[in-house]
Amino acid sequence: MNLALTELRRRPSRFTVATVVLTFLSLLLLLLGGLLDGLYLGSTGAIRAQEADVIVYSDSARDSFLRSRITPDMREVVEGVDGVTEVGGLGFTLLGATVPGESDLADVAVAGYELAPSGVPAPPPAGHAWADDRLRDAGVAIGDTLLVGPAATPIVVDGWVEDTNYLLQGGLWVTLDTWRAVQNANRPDAFLADGVVQVLVVRGEGDIGPAIDAATGSTSSLTRDEAVNALPGVKEQRSTFNAIIYSTLAVVLAVVGLFFSLLTLERTGLYGVLKAIGASTRRLFVGVVLQAVVVAVIAFVIGGALATLADRALPADVPLQLTTGRYVFTFVALIVAAVLGSAVSLRRVTRIDPASAIGSAA
Amino acid sequence: MFLALSEMRRAKVRFGLLAGAVGLLVFLILFQQALLTGLVNQFIGALKNQSADVLVFNAQARKNLEGSIILPDQAAAIAAVEGVDVAAPLGEGTFTVLAGGEETDAVIFGYELGGPGAPTTLIEGRLPEVGGEAVASSRNAADGFDIGDTVTVVPNPGGTATTFTVVGLAREINYSVSPTLFTDFAGFETARRAVNPDATQVLPSVMAVRVVAGADPAEVADAITAAVEGTEGLTRQQAVDESPGVASVRQSFSVILLLFYLVVPLVTGLFFLIVTFQKAGALTLLRAIGSPAGPLVRSLLIQVVAVVLSGAVLATGLFWLASLGGGGGLGITVEPMPVITTTLVVLVLALLTSFAAVRRVLRIDPIAATTGAGVQV
Repeated sequence: MNLALTELRRRPSRFTVATVVLTFLSLLLLLLGGLLDGLYLGSTGAIRAQEADVIVYSDSARDSFLRSRITPDMREVVEGVDGVTEVGGLGFTLLGATVPGESDLADVAVAGYELAPSGVPAPPPAGHAWADDRLRDAGVAIGDTLLVGPAATPIVVDGWVEDTNYLLQGGLWVTLDTWRAVQNANRPDAFLADGVVQVLVVRGEGDIGPAIDAATGSTSSLTRDEAVNALPGVKEQRSTFNAIIYSTLAVVLAVVGLFFSLLTLERTGLYGVLKAIGASTRRLFVGVVLQAVVVAVIAFVIGGALATLADRALPADVPLQLTTGRYVFTFVALIVAAVLGSAVSLRRVTRIDPASAIGSAA
Repeated sequence: MFLALSEMRRAKVRFGLLAGAVGLLVFLILFQQALLTGLVNQFIGALKNQSADVLVFNAQARKNLEGSIILPDQAAAIAAVEGVDVAAPLGEGTFTVLAGGEETDAVIFGYELGGPGAPTTLIEGRLPEVGGEAVASSRNAADGFDIGDTVTVVPNPGGTATTFTVVGLAREINYSVSPTLFTDFAGFETARRAVNPDATQVLPSVMAVRVVAGADPAEVADAITAAVEGTEGLTRQQAVDESPGVASVRQSFSVILLLFYLVVPLVTGLFFLIVTFQKAGALTLLRAIGSPAGPLVRSLLIQVVAVVLSGAVLATGLFWLASLGGGGGLGITVEPMPVITTTLVVLVLALLTSFAAVRRVLRIDPIAATTGAGVQV
């Protein structure tokens, strides 16, 4: 083990190119993962925050919030279902908002609610909102009056909430009446009568989803996770990005395997001598694995730093979000790939005959 | 060449592993390039392939068709701007429809028949001539959107179902990766009222403008933005390029593709550099017995070309397999030009980075064969 580390210390140039390649690959893995997380978290925050057992849509909406309509009659039926304990309306309107002192508009998702989602206080007074803190990037400050949509409906920001965005637009959490006023003023073609909401957030006991759908005959109830996955593009984004990420990990594996099998080939004579003087195959192989892990760790550290810099340098509209979980996943994946890749050399190390050291090892 | 290929035959695992790594990387480049093209075409193909020279959005919509409405006084003011020949409403919305016996999502565009905003890539059938007719995206013909099929908008409670008959198919007119129909504006209005029976009025999403003959669409678009408060005029190309998400998706993919393009030559260069070090003794001996440097360098370059081309073949195979899956509904297809261009770029980059190994071969001193020294670092 000391020999492996000593070689790394004394001949770092031998490992430079492999480290550079792995640095690029770890940077790629972090950027790909960061984009996936940014798209996912930025699109789904408002739904993930819901403390709901089921979310009830009108069945013709095909699980789309913006197309769903729940009338007061349907709500009454849902409230009467056995096991249902709490019911609250929820609706979203996607608009642009004028921010005081800013020339650019902010993309906002005006969210009307009754049951407070996780991290969001009880509904504010009419005409006021809790704003998602990502709207700070657009210049929004507490106390600002945002003019929302073509009708310039005023909404006053009362405070911040976190991770509550919807379809990459900053959440503005308001009462249902304020939301309806915003929707009706700015989207007359999607006018909502009194009491109409897009979906119902339902809390209760037991398997209430099927019971609600059976009782109303015109709703589709999804769990919160199902509702998240039903958002446009969420499933497709995840599967596509994951395919690219895992293919990139396969490249890491091939690169590490290639590099260390070449190194092992180069050291065949040396390993023969070491075996002849008593070094075990296990010890030699552990040395190879250790070097692969050290190279991977260095590459991850540099790649991680570059990714952090890229996160700061890229424009705000690039949905890159680097989370601790993503760094941990990438680190573990790199180490696993490095260990597996270096294992390619095991066969060659095992096959080295100590007798070959006699007369040929120099 | 004999020497180069013999060496590759005798070290199949080593060269196979390198070709595999290069193949995977080239596959990822091809896949992501196709994904980017597919994303752009499938998300905003309808904007790209419609006939209006200029599209006028509500300024508050931030160039987002879904978030834009044009008020009646704005529509009238746009028509009066100098350089505007015709300004007609263009509506867009996503609906639940019954097509081919199944409920599915579909985007409906409503335009004034004969006016700007009509699809321009008709490949079969004809454009709608009366209400109730529509042109559908050809990609979805097999899903109940073929010529002669009827597509019904599923109403919400209180609304009335409305049906369109497909009379034509146009290519690359999808929007938001959904099946797309182009019909008359009145049909769009009926569809809106079917799902929103409480709607007080149905406004156009944007105004589709045809400019007068000889006028520059960019200048007319700017003139509209300046003259009509609360609107933003964009040429067709601007509307495509500046569509929300498209610019950021392009930017993100560009960074990732650039990194992939860097990794391929680095991996190839690294490999041949190490292999050259390992062969130092043999190469020195060859030089000492009279082999000129040229054949040795050619041998190295032949190996680089062979490895990259093998990788490209593998990548094309993987890409073809991935295209069978459709790439998440984005209609990814294997086209020869992107494959050839990518392979050539990767090959040139790999040859450039292999110059480090070439340099070392050229620096071999035959006299070193008598002293035991190899490649000079």
